[in-house]
Amino acid sequence: MSTAETPVAQVEKKQKKKTVQWGDDPKIGFVEALYLPAIAGGIATALKHAFFKKRSTAQYPEQKPEMPPNYRGVHRLNRDEEGRVKCVACYMCQTACPANCIEIIAAPAPQDDPKWANRDKFPATFTIDELRCIYCGMCEEACPVDAIELTSIYDLTGMSRQEMIFDKEKLLSVFDETSKAGLDPVRTNRGALGPASEKSMQSTDSPPPPGRGKHG
Amino acid sequence: MSTVFVNDIEVEVGPRDNLIQAARAAGVEIPHYCWHEALSVVASCRMCLVEVGEKKPDGTIAMGPKLVPACQTPAKPGTVVKTETAKVKTGQQMTLEFLLLNHPLDCSICDQAGECYLQDYTYKFGKAQSRLNEPKVQRLDKYHIGEQIALFTDRCVMCTRCVRFTREISGTAELQVVARGSVEEIDVFPNKPCNNKLAGNVVDLCPVGALCSKDFLYKKRVWWLKSQKSVCAGCSTGCSIEVDQNEDHVYRLRPRANPLAQGHFMCDEGRFGFKYVQSTNRLSGPTSKSIATVGVAASAVTKFNGNVAGKLFQPADLAVVDHWPAAIQEAREKIKAAVDSSASSFAAVFSPMMSVEEAYLLASYLKGLNRNVKLLMGPVPVVGEDDCYPKNVNGSAPTAEKTKFTIRAEKCPNRLGVEKVLKHFQGALVPIEDAIQGAHGIQAWYFVGGYATPDDSIGWVSPSIAKATEPAKLLIVQDIFPSVLSKRADIVFAGAAFTERDGTFINHSGLAQAFRAATRPPQASRADGRILNELCLRQGLYNTEFLRKEIASKIPSLESLSVGDLGVHGVELHQLVGAHL
Amino acid sequence: MNWYEIWAELWPTLIAIGIILAVVPVVGLYATFVERKLAAAVQDRLGPNRVGPFGLFQAIADGIKIFLKEQIIPSHVHTFIYMLAPCISLMTAMFALAVLPYGPTPVNYFGGLRFIVMPGLDISLLIMFAISSLSAYGIILGGWASNNKYSLYGAIRSCAQFISYEIPMGLSVIGVILVAGSMNIETIVASQGSGDGISGWNLWWQPLALIIFFTSALAETNRLPFDLPECEQELVGGFHTEYGGIKFVLFFLAEYTHVVTVSFLTTLLFFGGWHFPGVPSEVTASYGILALQMLVLLVKVCGVVCFIMLLRWALPRFRFDQLMGLAWKGLIPLAMLNLVFLAVFESLGWHRWPLAVLSVLLFVAAGYWSAWQSQSFVRKASVT
Ligand code: SF4
Ligand code: SF4
Ligand code: SF4
Ligand code: SF4
Ligand code: FES
Repeated sequence: MSTAETPVAQVEKKQKKKTVQWGDDPKIGFVEALYLPAIAGGIATALKHAFFKKRSTAQYPEQKPEMPPNYRGVHRLNRDEEGRVKCVACYMCQTACPANCIEIIAAPAPQDDPKWANRDKFPATFTIDELRCIYCGMCEEACPVDAIELTSIYDLTGMSRQEMIFDKEKLLSVFDETSKAGLDPVRTNRGALGPASEKSMQSTDSPPPPGRGKHG
Repeated sequence: MSTVFVNDIEVEVGPRDNLIQAARAAGVEIPHYCWHEALSVVASCRMCLVEVGEKKPDGTIAMGPKLVPACQTPAKPGTVVKTETAKVKTGQQMTLEFLLLNHPLDCSICDQAGECYLQDYTYKFGKAQSRLNEPKVQRLDKYHIGEQIALFTDRCVMCTRCVRFTREISGTAELQVVARGSVEEIDVFPNKPCNNKLAGNVVDLCPVGALCSKDFLYKKRVWWLKSQKSVCAGCSTGCSIEVDQNEDHVYRLRPRANPLAQGHFMCDEGRFGFKYVQSTNRLSGPTSKSIATVGVAASAVTKFNGNVAGKLFQPADLAVVDHWPAAIQEAREKIKAAVDSSASSFAAVFSPMMSVEEAYLLASYLKGLNRNVKLLMGPVPVVGEDDCYPKNVNGSAPTAEKTKFTIRAEKCPNRLGVEKVLKHFQGALVPIEDAIQGAHGIQAWYFVGGYATPDDSIGWVSPSIAKATEPAKLLIVQDIFPSVLSKRADIVFAGAAFTERDGTFINHSGLAQAFRAATRPPQASRADGRILNELCLRQGLYNTEFLRKEIASKIPSLESLSVGDLGVHGVELHQLVGAHL
Repeated sequence: MNWYEIWAELWPTLIAIGIILAVVPVVGLYATFVERKLAAAVQDRLGPNRVGPFGLFQAIADGIKIFLKEQIIPSHVHTFIYMLAPCISLMTAMFALAVLPYGPTPVNYFGGLRFIVMPGLDISLLIMFAISSLSAYGIILGGWASNNKYSLYGAIRSCAQFISYEIPMGLSVIGVILVAGSMNIETIVASQGSGDGISGWNLWWQPLALIIFFTSALAETNRLPFDLPECEQELVGGFHTEYGGIKFVLFFLAEYTHVVTVSFLTTLLFFGGWHFPGVPSEVTASYGILALQMLVLLVKVCGVVCFIMLLRWALPRFRFDQLMGLAWKGLIPLAMLNLVFLAVFESLGWHRWPLAVLSVLLFVAAGYWSAWQSQSFVRKASVT
């Protein structure tokens, strides 16, 4: 088709394309121009809702909403099977956090405590400013060992800013509470975890690793 | 020079270069673990395997049948290197898969993560999956391997760089490979830990996170560190370094390869000895006997401790009154009055910790007031003898031509530079100890310190200096730590340590290197250059490049500084004006 | 007139003023409550239901809260005028209430009982209009003194809107005045009385005037769909952007007072005031009947108030050019034509019933013309 167009027509077409495209005013017909039918329609709709539709208000404190299981609320710090904090203090969450609200101080795991024998590094402190957090879930995405998770607790309130800064103990207690209440986030255990926090991948029947016990 | 073809890019390389260096010149990266410029070639890691061929004079290319290690292959004229063929790529993938067989992959807790060659090469050249089904071999960590270093045994890729370092550079040969095959590992002899004075370098050499610095262990993830090119102030070798800092806290120093200065390494004394810059004992701001000065709020001290819980959430230090203008003004007036009453009884003591610029600013200012003002060289700290490496088998120092690294006895970075400035302004160099012999008649003093004496209540001040300055009418001290002098001084200027200043150090051999501020001075202390700039009533801001040009134009022996920007390697003075050295 | 007489006239006036002063804020507060409940109903919500039974005390709680709020005077405002503006707003709004009869007042109002502050005023309608146009000052001054461009835009808009809509409003009311032959609101109401209590309403022969009047009145009160001076999406808060706490409430009260005034006027002028089938038309001294008539009036007024509130949720806001166009191109010509017809009918003494038909025809003709205009405009635009 375009080959049939004269060059002038093509140029014109091009120019036309470039000009500002105005949105057309809607065409107003006779009925619309009278206004009253439209007004009556509006009032009828309003009245219909006022008298015939079910009220959808939820009476909040008495009537708790059902949170979708993938809701992103208050954080928790998970524990491993031995009750230790699962976090290995890799700082991935702190790095990923766009709100810059996580602060971790890492330390070597207590060497003389047999409970910590197979762990190298752990978070000496772990602080989240729940007020600064935007509940984006990046921390949980970033965590290589699924240690940090967002629970479906949504009603987070406090009387001071200070108490909204959650430390490690508080975050662990959130884990204890939610796991006891069966409120584990759906994302928990979404896949195989890294070797850093889980029980060693080594099966018990294989021979002990060579080198161990020699100089260790 | 010979011409080599890397991936069809033609490059000129030196006669002793290998193919890794040739490729580097062509902008092509050949991954490698065991090869290091400063160490011997063992070609054991097989990471650098490439296809190599030869370009015949008639233009035809004959490629070799198998992959060869690039690190071990000299770049002969006409060599053709191919790094992107399927064969090479498969080779790299298989090598990496093999290296990762027993690797724990605990990057999340590994200090090397972020600057790990295993990570980088796996990302660039490796494959995503391992075919290993068997359990990984696990080994115990060896925290006992050295006072400053820890070995995370299972992360090791057995490149033996560390072993070769202790054999070839330090000469102490503590680290060994024990056992063979899949259970071979790095170890030390029982009760013979790797504690030589260069041991910290194996941490940098280790391409993976096997050898870690205990000092830095778990302190900071490396991607948060910001680096600044600087010069170590520990001794007059003047090692080029990187200062790694985050939020004004210096976490570690790393050597920066500089063929003109020290080579590739640095000593542990310098590497770990910088801690004094974040001592809580630092002078915190200007004080004067005549103006009521208030120290900075104590909360600012937390800045030194870096990792303080909740630091992120602490309110910013409240603004405090700036006492600098008053203190500097007062000092200027008092100096003027003292010089006017008797110029020859005014003495300024220069420290070898000062930069060339600072020495120049102070000297030119005082001599400008009166030619008879005395400029004295402060104490030059010397500890023991120069310590040369590699050590012989019996632990003694090597001959001069075999020396690869020297830790100098002179524990200051810039004696040469300050001396040149003093010689220029005064003709002769007068050490302070000479000047205070007998009845010296000096009534007014301007002392510049800056020595690393964090825990010493006397500081760097020798008893004779303390005694000689007792009757002084005016005592101004510019320092970073309190000393007997600062306690007695009329005016104290809190200066900055080397990681907080910009300037030039001239090392033992006359190499002028620029060092740059990595952090801000703590609390209300100030970089010395800035203090002096204001004291001397100079226009504009303290700017090292500009000052270097000015110094070069005024002081013939420092003419080489006229380039202004000294670059990353520095400028050798005798290159241009050898006669003045 | 001796002192006794003056006093006899004064004390009912004072009492009436006192009652108005006391009742207006409460009415204002509860108007917000009703509005919120109504809005909630329209939007399928429950509305305020926590304070007191059915949330009835919510209005009081709000009132207390707003009185206890911190008084913030922005540093950049012209303080005196800034403080004055809400007062003017509310004051003028309350003034207008002075000439409104809240119920039938016995002819001999010197007896004390009456439902109007200024009884027997022959130009009460005129006064009403004179005073209510003053309320524009409150908004204009408020917007200007705020020293904030959004406030100023709001003020300017409201200024233009007031000026434009006063004209159709006045024109439409002239018809009513013509019919009643008086500007006394009480007389106008009385003139709408008839045997059956409904056939005398002005509504029947002035439907077009009613529409025009009601539309203009909505615009005068700044209610949706004509709340351009304060529309949030464009002007933050319009003229009251910088106002908070009690000062804001004064503006707010003024708005609700206006709503009430407008409802009263609509009822009195067009819906027969206290006339209703089955309710005696004549003003007697019987308290029972007076109360009944007053109740009728109040019920009608409440109906209109609710209708205004309902309109808010039924109609979208006009664009400013549409708003102006409606006044100048629609309402004013229509009101004029309507007035001409009425004048002709009245002067010739014809029966008024055809007027209703004429009104409808006029309205339809206007609609058709407007549609034709719009069509031809679109057609023209698409040709070029
Ligand atoms: S949810 Fe987002 S903002 Fe909150 S802590 Fe995690 S990463 Fe930070
Ligand atoms: S990402 Fe996970 S393991 Fe790493 S520091 Fe955060 S919570 Fe701990
Ligand atoms: S050595 Fe490298 S690959 Fe291995 S755990 Fe450390 S960072 Fe990860
Ligand atoms: S410890 Fe590091 S430097 Fe030493 S052999 Fe292993 S990987 Fe190489
Ligand atoms: S670098 Fe060439 S074999 Fe290791």
